[in-house]
Amino acid sequence: MATYDLTPRIGPNLDRHLVFPLLEFLQERQLYPDEQILKAKIELLNKTNMVDYAMDIHKSLYHTDDVPQDMVERRVEVVARLKALEDAAAPLVTFLQNTNAVQELRADKQYNLQMLNDRYQIGPDQIEALYQYAKFQFECGNYSGAADYLYQYRALCTNSERSLSALWGKLAAEILMQNWDIALEELNRLKEIIDSKSFSSPLNQVQSRIWLMHWSLFIFFNHDNGRTQIIDLFNQDKYLNAIQTSAPHLLRYLATAFIVNKRRRPQFKEFIKVIQQDQCSYKDPITEFLACVYVNYEFDGAQKKMKECEEVILNDPFLGKRVEEGSFSTVPLKDEFLENARLFIFETYCRIHQRIDMGVLFEKLNLNYEEGERWIVNLIRNSKLDAKIDSETGTVIMEPNQPNVYEQLIDHTKALQGRTYKLVGQLLENAQAQPAR
Amino acid sequence: MASKFWTQGGSDTEEEETDIEDEIENGGAGETTAAAAGSRYLQTNASDSDDSDGQKRVVRSAKDKRFEEMASTVDQMKNAMKINDWVSLQESFDKINKQLEKVMRVTESDRVPNLYIKCLVMLEDFLAEALANKEAKKKMSSSNHKALNAMKQKLKKNNKQYEELINKYRENPESEEEKFEDEDEDEDEDESGSELEDPSQIAAESSDEDDEGEDMDDDDADGAWEKKLSKKEKLMDREFKKDPSEITWDTVNKKFKEVVAARGRKGTGKFEQVEQLTFLTKVAKTPAQKLEILFSVISAQFDVNPGLSGHMPINVWKKCVQNMLVILDILVQYPNIVVDDMVEPDENETQKGADYDGTIRVWGNLVAFLERIDNEFFKSLQCIDPHTREYVERLRDEPLFLVLAQNVQEYLERIGDLKSAAKVALRRVELVYYKPQEVYDAMRKLAELSEDGEKDGDETKVEETRGTSAFVVTPELVSRKPTFPENSRALMDILVTLIYKSGDERTKARAMLCDIYHHALFDEFSIARDLLLMSHLQDNIQHMDVSTQILFNRAMAQVGLCAFRVGLIAEGHGCLSELYSGGRVKELLAQGVSQSRYHEKTPEQERLERRRQMPYHMHINLELLEAVHLICAMLLEVPNMAANSLDAKRKVISKTFSRLLEVSERQPFTGPPENVRDHVMAATRALCKGDFQKAFDIINSLDVWKLLRNRESVLEMLKAKIKEEALRTYLFTYCSSYDTLGLDQLTRMFDLSDAQIHSIVSKMLVNEELHASWDQPTRCIIFHDVEYSRLQALAFQLTEKLSILAESNERAVEARTGGGGLDLPLRRRDNQEYAAGTAGGGGGRWPDLSYGQGRQGSSGRAAYTGGGRPLALGQASRDRSGQSRGYSGRAGSGMRGSQMDASARMVSLNRGVRG
Repeated sequence: MATYDLTPRIGPNLDRHLVFPLLEFLQERQLYPDEQILKAKIELLNKTNMVDYAMDIHKSLYHTDDVPQDMVERRVEVVARLKALEDAAAPLVTFLQNTNAVQELRADKQYNLQMLNDRYQIGPDQIEALYQYAKFQFECGNYSGAADYLYQYRALCTNSERSLSALWGKLAAEILMQNWDIALEELNRLKEIIDSKSFSSPLNQVQSRIWLMHWSLFIFFNHDNGRTQIIDLFNQDKYLNAIQTSAPHLLRYLATAFIVNKRRRPQFKEFIKVIQQDQCSYKDPITEFLACVYVNYEFDGAQKKMKECEEVILNDPFLGKRVEEGSFSTVPLKDEFLENARLFIFETYCRIHQRIDMGVLFEKLNLNYEEGERWIVNLIRNSKLDAKIDSETGTVIMEPNQPNVYEQLIDHTKALQGRTYKLVGQLLENAQAQPAR
Repeated sequence: MASKFWTQGGSDTEEEETDIEDEIENGGAGETTAAAAGSRYLQTNASDSDDSDGQKRVVRSAKDKRFEEMASTVDQMKNAMKINDWVSLQESFDKINKQLEKVMRVTESDRVPNLYIKCLVMLEDFLAEALANKEAKKKMSSSNHKALNAMKQKLKKNNKQYEELINKYRENPESEEEKFEDEDEDEDEDESGSELEDPSQIAAESSDEDDEGEDMDDDDADGAWEKKLSKKEKLMDREFKKDPSEITWDTVNKKFKEVVAARGRKGTGKFEQVEQLTFLTKVAKTPAQKLEILFSVISAQFDVNPGLSGHMPINVWKKCVQNMLVILDILVQYPNIVVDDMVEPDENETQKGADYDGTIRVWGNLVAFLERIDNEFFKSLQCIDPHTREYVERLRDEPLFLVLAQNVQEYLERIGDLKSAAKVALRRVELVYYKPQEVYDAMRKLAELSEDGEKDGDETKVEETRGTSAFVVTPELVSRKPTFPENSRALMDILVTLIYKSGDERTKARAMLCDIYHHALFDEFSIARDLLLMSHLQDNIQHMDVSTQILFNRAMAQVGLCAFRVGLIAEGHGCLSELYSGGRVKELLAQGVSQSRYHEKTPEQERLERRRQMPYHMHINLELLEAVHLICAMLLEVPNMAANSLDAKRKVISKTFSRLLEVSERQPFTGPPENVRDHVMAATRALCKGDFQKAFDIINSLDVWKLLRNRESVLEMLKAKIKEEALRTYLFTYCSSYDTLGLDQLTRMFDLSDAQIHSIVSKMLVNEELHASWDQPTRCIIFHDVEYSRLQALAFQLTEKLSILAESNERAVEARTGGGGLDLPLRRRDNQEYAAGTAGGGGGRWPDLSYGQGRQGSSGRAAYTGGGRPLALGQASRDRSGQSRGYSGRAGSGMRGSQMDASARMVSLNRGVRG
């Protein structure tokens, strides 16, 4: 089932550290041989400063206690560099740890800088050192420290470029610490900056958006409110454009969000068109399912796709998040998805049918008869469905839903009256104004 | 006086050469002996130096002037003969007759000058030869052939007058000469002394030299090669009379300056100048000097071009390319030489020798030369009749140019001038983008083959250079063979990336269009579409130059064809419909001149138009284009007509198509289809009845399909589409006659699978095109009785008309009252409501669907179907009308929807135009 795995396509758009959770998930799902994943992990870690972790993985991969020499050397190097950076940033760090002193800071950046310079001899060099230190901390896997320093750095920083990358760093750190609320705030802040900032080339802007969307997947599929927000973000014209041109695989997540969210009908129709149009560039069971139901009206196909969707969801690091409930572990999104998908099929099916054999219907919906009947009765009772069950023949009969011709005619002409009145009013007004002039 | 040279017969030149060769061997033996030995040769030199002869100057000057004119006309005639150009020959002949009158007046004698007679003889001979050569005659272009016949008549008439003299001349060509013999010898003495000092004299000499050579060409064609060689040697000989070691940078430079100064002056032969300069390159002392002279050679070669509309002679073009390659050789060999056209280099910059360390600046612009060469190539293809062998031969020169362009580009990249490199890359792109893979492969093979052929050529060249022993020997450093990647896409990618990185706006836009065209050619519709939409070329193409607009139109046409091939009918129609809306396809694609009944073009316009025509091998087949356009229109329009047959305000998808249909319906009898249009109309008639098989058979019988590469699959796709549309049309047309309709029956009727029919019908049901629903247990469609009765339909029409009336009333009032700003938004809202009402009710359902696809996501990629507005080009007045139409459309859209964002604009533009 590795065919629908998106990790290779998502990975390049993430920070190194953010790829770890994905690899962990893959390891858990056993989609790839363990060895491959461990190797990939080492590869990842080689560029970071988490040398100890890399050593551990190396040991478990090769089942030895020996560690290659370059790793040991690297460790020494990292530690030395950490010391150096710590020293450089020390004045500012001590200042920031002093709560009394911090209270003296005000909203005015210039003032703060001036004050730091005058009273504590903390100049731009130290502030820059703080940034480097924070970055290094992040590289070492100390995310909470990095997040704190970056937050403070942003308060003091005057360079907008630096500030932006500090923001990215902060977002990554928050995501890795799983502080979803804070991460969401950071995400929105970043989004505003990206949208408002004038980039040197449109290409850079698109690239930033793509990164932002990839990073946001972590938040949206963990945050309670994420599934509506993902639609808000991804379905904006600019972002949708970016998806279509550069990262069509993100359509999977948007499609899932749409299916799970019932209240987004108007946008949904637009989205179907996007799916239809992008079928050539990206396709997976979830988008194909939508295409089956809403473009081709192939219900048998939709049913098949639905089964595949289940697999895809279980194997997707974002969609297949598990919730442990006692001894069970469930994937809440999967159940929700299936329920809604079933409803989609049924809805569309009902729209074009007058009479449906319940047996066939339930087969299409992957339900047994009893369950199905109850399901339909519930739908009818909640007045979601204008239909009756003919239990003698085992069919559902839809109520015809045709607008009356006369009603239509009345509708058409109703407006005319108002318009004529308005016209006459205008004329009279004009006629009165004329003599007065 | 000039006459005495001309009277000289061709036969004796042979001897003369041997004389000269003797001379060379004698080397520095002194001028006097040479003069004595080669008296006859020298006497020819004297022909123009008479001015220096003081005795009868006053009398002669007027006379001489006339004679000179005449002589130059004769020169022209000879040139014309050389390239077999009867048109200019005819002109020259008329000219010489006029000049004859003048000469007669000046000389006040009734004796016709010998020069003229000689010319007549020459012409006669040449004419006889040309008429005898049936092969060559057949190959001539029509205008040339006409001129030949006219010439035959004229000459016959004319020669009768001088019959006697001609015969006399033929008998004794040299009778006139002897008189002047002694006189000449004196002159020779003077002349040889002043040889290097007098530039004009030298120029004249060499021109005489040329003429002589050509004389011989005429007399016996077989010996042509030898003579050319000898001619060169003779030229050179002039220099070698001095000891080679005596030739210094200064003398060469001086002479070079002289020759260049003569450029453009009256009486300076263009060919001669090239010859002279070419010779100078061989004696150039330093590489920089050689380079400088080579640049001048190329400039001079460009001068040879007869006019703006004509093209450079092909052999000159080839030499020009070779010279460019030599330039590159030098530049590669001496990286310290910099070519620049911004600064005026130092006077003696080129004196610095090969071992000089610093940078040497030489004036020149490689890119400009290259572009000029490309333009000449393009022009020659425009001019040559595409159905001749000549055209094919000319096309074979393409790899030659590609080699050059490749080398220039590499050089520019090496010196870091990426902007110019991008320009050169664009030239290469423009030669490749329209080639399908097969053609590209053929070109690659040709390039490989010609490599072998060239080797032989090189050997002979080497020999030549040995003979002439150039001072600065330039090894062939740059490759003479183009390297082509396996497939053209790879090549395009490399070039296009370079251009996108460092080209200027226009270069980028053109490269983008070529890229789009190429993608479309390779059936990659979605990539081509994305490129087109993301580049926003449609928005600002109006402001670009005509040739870019043509390229845009070509790209649009190709994208349309591509969409059709991959089965996207609506998109294909969107791309092509605008192209056909004005009926000026030929003009828009620059593939011919369309004749307009109402609009007379000025000659100026016509010339302009002719100059931007595409060469034949780049054409997009118009018949195929038309077939595709009409078939797309048919597939969209027929179900649309069937669905809205009662609707008064029904939307027409393709105006062109419905007009054609009307015309064909008006005909009392319909014969068997002959052209593309007839075929499609016949198919339409069948399709209207739901007879898919017949419709497909008719379409299938078109012979344009053989132009498609994947013909089978396209036809299959087409058949499937026709079936689908036939089904839809059938359902629309006959749904009122049925209460229920079984799925099985439809399956049998339209030869489609259950699933397909179910899917198609379901789509119609969901879109509310068809008021019916499935009855699943019995597998049939149950039609709801929504087919309006006549009365109801009329009632709907009435309400629609009422609202139109109300609207026009409002507009009238507004116009009267001056349209208060307050009312406008109100009215807009009403309009929208109204529009929504009609959309919800009977009207305009199906078009909405097709437009809906235009939305395609976002502002950038929006409105594809509507977007492709090919540009009107050509006359300014027309252009303006095209523009204004665009504006009106846009204004209309503004009125209709206040909420329309940029993305919807292009769509509504079309709606505005159509509605």
